[in-house]
Amino acid sequence: MNLLRQCVAVTNANLRSVRRRFWISFSLVLSVALVTMILLGFLAMANGFNKALTQVGAEDIAIVLSSGARSELGSRITPPHLHLLEEAPGIARDANGAAFTSPELIVPVDVIGKSDQLPAAVSLRGVGLRGVAVRPLVKLSEGRMFAQGANELIIGKRLAQDYEGLELGKTILFGKSKWKVVGFFDADGSVFESELLADAKVVQTLFNRPNLTQVLRVKLAGPDGFAQLASYIEANPRLPVTVRSERQYFASQSQRVSQIILWLGWPLALTMALGAIIGALTTMYSSVSDRLIEIATVRAIGFSRTSAFIGTWIEALLLTLIGCGVGTLAALLLLDGWAASTVGADNTQIAFELQLSLSMIINAVAVSLLVGAVGGGLPAFRATRVPLRLAMTGRS
Amino acid sequence: MTLDTRIQLQDVSKSYRLGKSEISIFDSLNLDIPAGDFLAIMGPSGSGKSTILNLIGGIDRITSGQVTVGQLRIDNLSEAKLSRWRAQQVGFVFQFYNLLPMLTAAQNVELPLLLTAHSRRERMERVNTILDIVGLDTRGKHLPSELSGGQQQRVGIARAIAMDPQILLCDEPTGDLDRKSAEEILDILKILNTEMGKTIIMVTHDPSATTYARRTLHLDKGQFVRKELEHMA
Ligand SMILES: Nc1ncnc2c1ncn2[C@@H]1O[C@H](COP(=O)(O)OP(=O)(O)O)[C@@H](O)[C@H]1O
Ligand SMILES: [Mg+2]
Repeated sequence: MNLLRQCVAVTNANLRSVRRRFWISFSLVLSVALVTMILLGFLAMANGFNKALTQVGAEDIAIVLSSGARSELGSRITPPHLHLLEEAPGIARDANGAAFTSPELIVPVDVIGKSDQLPAAVSLRGVGLRGVAVRPLVKLSEGRMFAQGANELIIGKRLAQDYEGLELGKTILFGKSKWKVVGFFDADGSVFESELLADAKVVQTLFNRPNLTQVLRVKLAGPDGFAQLASYIEANPRLPVTVRSERQYFASQSQRVSQIILWLGWPLALTMALGAIIGALTTMYSSVSDRLIEIATVRAIGFSRTSAFIGTWIEALLLTLIGCGVGTLAALLLLDGWAASTVGADNTQIAFELQLSLSMIINAVAVSLLVGAVGGGLPAFRATRVPLRLAMTGRS
Repeated sequence: MTLDTRIQLQDVSKSYRLGKSEISIFDSLNLDIPAGDFLAIMGPSGSGKSTILNLIGGIDRITSGQVTVGQLRIDNLSEAKLSRWRAQQVGFVFQFYNLLPMLTAAQNVELPLLLTAHSRRERMERVNTILDIVGLDTRGKHLPSELSGGQQQRVGIARAIAMDPQILLCDEPTGDLDRKSAEEILDILKILNTEMGKTIIMVTHDPSATTYARRTLHLDKGQFVRKELEHMA
């Protein structure tokens, strides 16, 4: 029918008249752009975090925590249990039969950020003799390994870049303990680079945590290694520990963190979307009252109610889509790949990049369309109710 | 063309709500306009002149009575039917022209034609013919803001007759124009009446404008007061 033609004509006229309402229309575009950016920011953060943690997980490394602990922080493995674990099958061993394991603990220490001069907590990790051997990604890039029994440490490259005083040969003070920086390592930019490594025994002593082991890191022997270790632990009721492959462990960690990011992000984005809907209502109601005479005139000529509705509605949808486009573009330019220069906000200073994807952009478009559809819908309905006699009375 | 489009208002009353009270604009109004008439309506502001045009043109609803145009009772038509009827049968000419300011003169005239099945080419031909009739054949591409008041009103008339309706309803069509432009507009209306047989109902404040009409009615306090004054045709 000619309904389509009517709608096109009315929409065309409406859109051309947006110039008259430039600033209020612009404010709608801007508010939707902001919502889009916030939403994309959070989604990209969650995504980047996931990637940072899941890509590095190895299948031939196992992480043993005490039963019930979801992360190293809540975990504690006692020395007798450690001894039992050392005996377990499925663990890679050297020629002398010594297991490739590393009992570890982490201690938060304060360092000063280079860019903001603010203190931040990073993890000083005490590792066993095989600490580096059970971290395939970690490669010493400068200096040397810390010596056994010495208060020396090696530092992830990313940390060294971002924090003050982490220089080769320097001595740094954590609390009352002095540490000498003897080496740097890199780990393909993975989470491992966000830590300082030292001898676990020395860390236990200097931080007064005698015999504390939070996690046992294990290099697995061959493809059945994990199954053997797992069934050994299961079969031994005196061992209240759980084992996961490093990949599983990182995946579960990142899931929780990215979930937290999403739990924060979506409500915030939706609350802002609600604000944008109110903004859209204001903008579009003012558009309708700006066009009262025009609407009444066109309707008097014989245009349908539907065309008055569609014309107004499409104006709202287009404005919000433009806002979405602007917000997406800004997010792509400003946020995508952002972390190359930034270390993440998590307490453990894990580095990750914000990564945008098509599905996130689809989400943002959906939210914007929701804002336009709801915020434009009521005013569009009002447009269909404009009394036609206004055509006779008014000066436009 | 000038089939039977006699317009009849029978016992029409119109009132509107203001808060809790019901305010009557007129009560039991009768009016009979034969096809091809050129009727001028005068009267003080607020007397209901525009309301009469609105009721005849089907853009406002009567409270009681009946409005018949030709054989058709238009007072009880559905919204959609009334819309279609208006598009076919009625052209409106407004005091302030009511052109869409962001469309060109030609696009404004084309607007009612979009309601038909005509192709784009047919529409453009029709637009050009009509702009020619109102003497604006060279101004089709101009925006309303680039035209004088008189020219804008000529575009308004062109739009009103684009669909070749039988009835033209003009609410103070010269109310915003200087003498000379007003006369040009009135000349066009007169030609539309005499040569094309359009029924024209024109509200005006200007006594000299009434000389273009075939007859004049005076409305006051919801009543036609003096009887019809006949003019020379
Ligand atoms: N639907 C309505 N709601 C409120 N007031 C109305 C309505 N219709 C008409 N009026 C009022 O009725 C009176 C007559 O209006 P109108 O026909 O425009 O008079 P005129 O054109 O003769 O100046 C005016 O006071 C106008 O404000
Ligand atoms: Mg009036």
